[in-house]
Amino acid sequence: MGRYLLRRLASAIVTLWLLATIVFLMVSVLPGDVGRSVLGPFALKEDVARFNHQIGTDRPLISQYFTSIRRLFTLDFGDSFQSGGHVSKIIFPALFRSGKLALLAFVITIPISIAAGIFAARRQDKISDRVVVNTGLATSSIPDFVTAAVLLSIFCVHWKLGKVFADPPVGTSIIGQLPYLVTPALALVVAYFGYIARMSRAGVINGLQADYARTATMKGLSKGAVMRKHILRNALAPTITVISVQIGYLFGGIVGVEKVFNYHGLGSTMLNAVTSHDIPVLQGAVLLVGIVYMVSTLLADVLIAFLNPRVRLETAR
Amino acid sequence: MDHRLIDSVRRQASPHEVDLVDSFTEGRISRRSFVNRGMMMGIGAPLIAAVLAACGSDTKTSSAPAGSTASAGTTASAGSTASAGTTASSGSTAPAKIKQGGTLRIAAQTPAAPLDPVAMADLGTYTPVTTAFEYLVDILGADVKPMLAEKWSPNADGSVWTFNLRKGVKWHDGTPFTAADVVATMDRLSASNLKSYIDAGSTKAVDDFTVEITLKHPDGQFPQQVGAYNPQSVITPKDFVIGTTLDQRKTGTGAFKLTSYDPATGATFDANPDWWGGKPFLDKLQYIYSDDMATQMSGLQGGAADAIVQFTVVGGEALLSDDKVTVEVIHGSGHRQMWMNCREGDFTDKRVRQAVALGIDRQALIDNVLKGKGDIGNDHPISPIYPFFDASVPQRQRDVAKAKQLLSDAGKAGLSATLYFPKLQEIPQLAQLIQSQLKDIGMNVTLQQESVVDGEEWCKVYDSKNEPAGCDGGKDFGIVDYGPRGVPDVYLVKAYATGEWNSAHYISEPMRAAVKEYQSSLQLDGQKAAITKIETIANEDVPYVIPYFYNTLVAYSKNVTGIVSTGLGHFYCGKAGFTA
Repeated sequence: MGRYLLRRLASAIVTLWLLATIVFLMVSVLPGDVGRSVLGPFALKEDVARFNHQIGTDRPLISQYFTSIRRLFTLDFGDSFQSGGHVSKIIFPALFRSGKLALLAFVITIPISIAAGIFAARRQDKISDRVVVNTGLATSSIPDFVTAAVLLSIFCVHWKLGKVFADPPVGTSIIGQLPYLVTPALALVVAYFGYIARMSRAGVINGLQADYARTATMKGLSKGAVMRKHILRNALAPTITVISVQIGYLFGGIVGVEKVFNYHGLGSTMLNAVTSHDIPVLQGAVLLVGIVYMVSTLLADVLIAFLNPRVRLETAR
Repeated sequence: MDHRLIDSVRRQASPHEVDLVDSFTEGRISRRSFVNRGMMMGIGAPLIAAVLAACGSDTKTSSAPAGSTASAGTTASAGSTASAGTTASSGSTAPAKIKQGGTLRIAAQTPAAPLDPVAMADLGTYTPVTTAFEYLVDILGADVKPMLAEKWSPNADGSVWTFNLRKGVKWHDGTPFTAADVVATMDRLSASNLKSYIDAGSTKAVDDFTVEITLKHPDGQFPQQVGAYNPQSVITPKDFVIGTTLDQRKTGTGAFKLTSYDPATGATFDANPDWWGGKPFLDKLQYIYSDDMATQMSGLQGGAADAIVQFTVVGGEALLSDDKVTVEVIHGSGHRQMWMNCREGDFTDKRVRQAVALGIDRQALIDNVLKGKGDIGNDHPISPIYPFFDASVPQRQRDVAKAKQLLSDAGKAGLSATLYFPKLQEIPQLAQLIQSQLKDIGMNVTLQQESVVDGEEWCKVYDSKNEPAGCDGGKDFGIVDYGPRGVPDVYLVKAYATGEWNSAHYISEPMRAAVKEYQSSLQLDGQKAAITKIETIANEDVPYVIPYFYNTLVAYSKNVTGIVSTGLGHFYCGKAGFTA
């Protein structure tokens, strides 16, 4: 396991380097003069030139590239062009906010959707199965920001049951933050329920039809024990993989939901950085999301290895 | 009228004060204009009151802090924040008690830059910075009142202005506010924002509470440069270092002190019990940042916010019809300019530009695009809110036949042109309607939407040497936005008289002479005469079609009162509170 983790870590460093290179190239091809974009059209030429010199955009690309890579490995992305504050003071609070929302969304989604998947699999092709499958299909085909807007209008604005702005005031306790986060989390639950439920349903159906399940049943194990000890261990691997990828997306990709609920997570931070040419924040936030993806997939692999002895054996080789 | 009293006042007054008194007593300006102009010129409230009394008018003149309709600890009228240049479109006018305490949650635009009082350039930044810092002069629309300066006056030709500062004002750290702070601030601004007005060393402290500012050129309206419409002119402490931000050094003289700031999520302020305007009703202010107007509106309607700093008609319809929300309409001078290149291309012939102007149905634009929340424009940047606005210049009306004839005479019948415009507020809808209206005069307009308002389509080169100053290149035909200002100097100087923002490449010696005449006039009569020329020339030459002056909209819950907004990001809450 130790060697496996080391190998994954090395692979993660290479991936991060590739990601940093891609981000750098993308930022480099952005049209326009950075200094002009930041200081505005009325700024004097000399001020624009001074600003570009300060931030280093007047240096050769290769020099800028090495600076960018150094920043990646020291996790020091400099100061934001927009706010003037250090990038870490912007992206880490945003990461923390994204993490809170993602955690709550998954705490609600995972048990419900896996339970629904098992329930549907055990009643395959019956009405209850169709209801779960079709409901999941319907909800996951609605974009998350649409669900968010509808929930906001009905629950928060009209009935005033939830909070319109999901960012709780500074100093709010963890329990006190729940009312703020629960409605956007529900929007994400609606979006992900169908996807995860169908994945777990498919896995369980495969497991139910597998020889090892039949053998376990014939040797006298109860239905519950067969499901718990044999089927779920195999059936959940693809579901865990899907969830691990979705974690990364929840950190960086739910801009629509964040915008609707005025939540300042990593997604809206990146969008704002792009529109305001705040390159240090953009680089830092994108790399942070990359790290989140890697950590979540690594954790998923470890979890799958823990659940499935065959994977453990493969990794030990 | 008590002529003896008037004569007595005239004997004590300086020449420019006599001019103003005469303008009022002879009925050339309204009572409101007299009071506003008097305050602008630094004429004391007693003298204004004496003239009003002599003329049999109400003698009350205000020198209360921004937004004040009541003293702390007393009662105020709900919704009574309207003043000159502003009218509340809804909201109760019945007296209501203001409760002491509470946190006002305000949905506001996210600052686009550090909270640097000298370098700030966007509304989102103005809001928190001007919550902490204050100006010498309090300007709202055409209203001018004392703020950190209690009174001010010019010398005979308007080249030297003396400001008498308010005593007993303290910085948030308890340090006394004195003339030294103003001198240091003006010296800092002489290198940036007030560069064209003063040099370093131009401001002298006469004593601890009097400063004398010597201008590079006489200017009868200099107090406008040290008020809200020149946002960077906030007064900062004498030892304030350029580049320092408000969150780095939490200070100011305002009604609220910054306690925390997160550029992404918001800012919080505590009430300043030592504020010179009296202890605020509110305990705290909380700005909640969002760049999305729909989100801000949801916040107000869903109870997550108590107020919105400002919103637009387009996309803001839900608030206009919400009876739980007070919407304040601020009449101002903000407008859209549809420029036409006067130097080269299809619009060099004045008849073509006039044809375009005649092809526009202004009232239809206001009704459809602004839902009626605007004042009609007459192709000059002089808003009806200005005291020197001359309504006698004939309003241009739509005349399709004449427009067609002019196009034909100029050899441009069936003219095709591409109209460039930014994706900003109501401008895309405005462009579409203009396209449709100009079809009636035979013009074929193609629309080209751009993402930014001040892109290269407008002015490609900002410091071109081809023109006397500034703007060169850019497209021949487009729309650009201009924000509200207390005086039209920026519009006149930058877009009409020089070239810095002159996207129309308009060069007119008579216009330049009229603008110069206006700027050097200390008396209202002189300014009015110059403005009449400016209105006439601009209307005749039409380098820019100005179809309307849009109103700024501010919204707050029905249980909130006392907020004062300039329409330029300032949100004064020193006398705001929740009704009991």
